[in-house]
Amino acid sequence: MKENRIDAENADRTAGCKEPASGRNAIEIRNLTKSYGRQRGVREVSLCVKEGDMFGFLGPNGAGKSTTIRSMLGMLHFQKGEIRLLGMDSRRQRKEILRQVGYMPSEAMFYSSMRVKEVIRFAARARGMDCDREADRICERLSVDWEKRIGELSLGNRKKVSIVCAMQHKPKLLILDEPTSGLDPLMQEAFFSLLLEARQRGATCFLSSHVLSEVKRYCNRAAVIRAGSVILSDTVENLAKSDLRRVKVRKDGQEQAFVHNGNMRELLAWLGQMEPEDVLIEEPSLEEIFVHYYEKE
Amino acid sequence: MTLFWYELKMNRKAFLIWMVCLGFSCFGCLLLFEGLEESMAEMAAAYAQMGAFSAALGLDRLSVGTMEGFYATEVALMFALGSAMFAAMTGAAIVAKEEEGHTAEFLHTLPLGRGTIILWKYVALVVLILLFDICCIVWVLAGFWLAGQFPPAREFGMYHGAQFLMQLEIGSLCFLMSSCGKRKQIGAALGGAVLLYMMELMCRIVPDLEGLKYVTPYYFSNAADIFAEGRVNIGMLAVSAAVTLLCAVAAAVIYRRRDIAS
Repeated sequence: MKENRIDAENADRTAGCKEPASGRNAIEIRNLTKSYGRQRGVREVSLCVKEGDMFGFLGPNGAGKSTTIRSMLGMLHFQKGEIRLLGMDSRRQRKEILRQVGYMPSEAMFYSSMRVKEVIRFAARARGMDCDREADRICERLSVDWEKRIGELSLGNRKKVSIVCAMQHKPKLLILDEPTSGLDPLMQEAFFSLLLEARQRGATCFLSSHVLSEVKRYCNRAAVIRAGSVILSDTVENLAKSDLRRVKVRKDGQEQAFVHNGNMRELLAWLGQMEPEDVLIEEPSLEEIFVHYYEKE
Repeated sequence: MTLFWYELKMNRKAFLIWMVCLGFSCFGCLLLFEGLEESMAEMAAAYAQMGAFSAALGLDRLSVGTMEGFYATEVALMFALGSAMFAAMTGAAIVAKEEEGHTAEFLHTLPLGRGTIILWKYVALVVLILLFDICCIVWVLAGFWLAGQFPPAREFGMYHGAQFLMQLEIGSLCFLMSSCGKRKQIGAALGGAVLLYMMELMCRIVPDLEGLKYVTPYYFSNAADIFAEGRVNIGMLAVSAAVTLLCAVAAAVIYRRRDIAS
């Protein structure tokens, strides 16, 4: 009864990359396979992100989130599959893609001897652009100190510099790897308001995260990756509408709690046979649903 | 080009420290010569009769009692080792520092392209070595000027030209190593520079090891040979240029194909 066959039951919501009914895809990943020698990376990952989406990419540590992102940006050479960003081939048109992409790595490391303004200008010059105005605006919103040396900054402040570098050229696609780790709640709010502004401007946001609450709050679509494979991809609304139920049963003074996934009739029949003193059947929160997927091996 | 200027800027501290230390040491040694001239002249005959060791250091062909001989056998030895170590250290760090410092993700997601990144890093390495040489030559010339004696200009020019190629070869070998690895192998680079120098000494002392002269770039750029013979071995120079070019091309090919970890 307590056995959950998630993969089979959610097959229609997993892998696959289709043309959207309206607009076009900003990210198309088809059958991406990347391994590191004998070590697993990702296998047969397929994923689509529509233009203008705020897409959450969820998964536990080592699931393959960063491998997928680094493959998208050309840092890793994948063995199989195809990646198209903004309609361009990630292998052949890498430079053109990077011109229109803003990337924020999870570690946010820069040259420690350089000043904040030097790093920001270096990133702008590498794009052949004068981004001073937008950089000033973002720096003001995030209270970034231009004069400080990178080596003097905390992780949170380095993250802020990373946000400026990723957004100052007003990219069409933002790829953010665990963007809020290290940011205080106030800065997280400021960061998401900048993201929402970018989205209003037409930008697509793809963010990998551990924080389910921010995905639930800001993203319209999400995918879950586990052990190198995408096991679920849908709208956040649909993902929350799970067949999962949290069940609490009391019989002979003893309480039993479990998560049921599957046919409700089977559950009711089982409960009927059990003749419990009390039963509580609840819809789980989105957090519980994801944790359930994470844990399932 | 942006990357080139930033690379020069990021290397300026190490550049200044090494350039001042080595340049000042050469300058100081040249100034010492005036005071030591007489005793050096007395020791020259003894130095010239130490057999293979004299031959290895060029003391059998040049007199340490003259400014030219003193420069070619004493000061140049210090300059060759110091400048090669600077080239090795810079070459070993210039690419690998990105992955070791976790800045590779930042750099590689800018629309520069790997070919452009490796090209400008190599250009920065060449320019740093060239600037290093020019600054050290200024120190040396200042020393000669204060000592009131100058070496023959042709030999002096040939020697420093050959030295530049020697440093470039060692720098390029370390650049190749740097573009393959995820960590700066400074120890290995400095060790390699010293090992190549030891090879030069050994192949001059042990006849069976003569073949090593084609391996070590210190051989063709040896100051005593150039000042005594007034020429540089063109064949060995060509081998050095070929090795340098091969290392640069191999570094570019490997760097474009490898995965960038962070």
